[in-house]
Amino acid sequence: MDPFKGQGGIQMLLIAEQEAQHIVSNARNLRTQRLKQAKDEVEREAAQYRSHMEDEYQKLISENTGSSGSNVKRLEEETDAKIKNLKKSTSKISSEVVDMLLKYVTNIKT
Amino acid sequence: MNDADVSKQIQQMVQFIRQEAEEKANEISVSAEEEFNIEKLQLVEADKKKIRQEYERKERQVEIRKKIEYSMQLNASRIKVLQAQDDVISSMKEAASKELLNVSHHRHLNLLSHHHHEYRNLLKDLIVQCLLRLKEPSVLLRCRKDDLHLVEHVLDSSAQEYAEKANVDPPEIIVDNQVYLPPGPSHHNSHDLYCSGGVVLASRDGKIVCENTLDARLDVVFRKKLPEIRKQLFGQVVV
Repeated sequence: MDPFKGQGGIQMLLIAEQEAQHIVSNARNLRTQRLKQAKDEVEREAAQYRSHMEDEYQKLISENTGSSGSNVKRLEEETDAKIKNLKKSTSKISSEVVDMLLKYVTNIKT
Repeated sequence: MNDADVSKQIQQMVQFIRQEAEEKANEISVSAEEEFNIEKLQLVEADKKKIRQEYERKERQVEIRKKIEYSMQLNASRIKVLQAQDDVISSMKEAASKELLNVSHHRHLNLLSHHHHEYRNLLKDLIVQCLLRLKEPSVLLRCRKDDLHLVEHVLDSSAQEYAEKANVDPPEIIVDNQVYLPPGPSHHNSHDLYCSGGVVLASRDGKIVCENTLDARLDVVFRKKLPEIRKQLFGQVVV
């Protein structure tokens, strides 16, 4: 065997092996990048989703504020109506009650 | 083996090495894509779930705050109504209390003998009632200074009436000339003790007291008639 020729063959094999390592290494790097890309895309989608949920939430707060205000207003109206009716009742029977009380105060059982 | 064969064999080995590498790279690439999709789906779903739970919690808090606020408003409303109820009842009692002055305003109505006699008779009945309750042979009597002459005027007839009703000897009634019941309410003593009229009798040892002032009687009558008054005003409704 020609020694030079043998060394040349080995050299070719070594180069091929290096190129193979490079190909595999590239593939692994791409995979790592791809996974990172997955995380980035996930973050972007999560941000979009959060933004959507926040909009819904703010809308809910607005509705509740209006609804709450409406409830409170109705409650105030009911309260005022009750008190108004109360005063009406009072004015109707006030002198009657006072007379009744005085009658008992001055009606002494002996 | 000749040179051509050797060269061919080396070429085949090189080809094989490259092919192996490319197959492996392809395998890595395919599994990477699968991994990418799975990872992405899982992460997206996990994040969305977390976000959704976060906002569900926030929305529940909004609902809770809304309920708490309404509950507080409702409570304040009820208290307001109850306060209004108390106010009207108090105003009625106050009106009645003011009317008590008309019962005993004999000083300024001396010329109106009807009213004069009315209050005088009232005092006599108040005294007799106390005597009947105390059932004592000797009692102390306190009245307003303004009422002193009226009391002295009806003292004997009161004692006599009691004696007849109770079938006993007429009791001794000692009028306190040192200490009097406070005068009626006026603008000057609006925060002081006052007495709108009537008498207070006590046993000689002071241990048994019969308070028969108009104000005390109003308190008793008012407390007794309160359920009836509330029923007239508020019906059966419970706030």
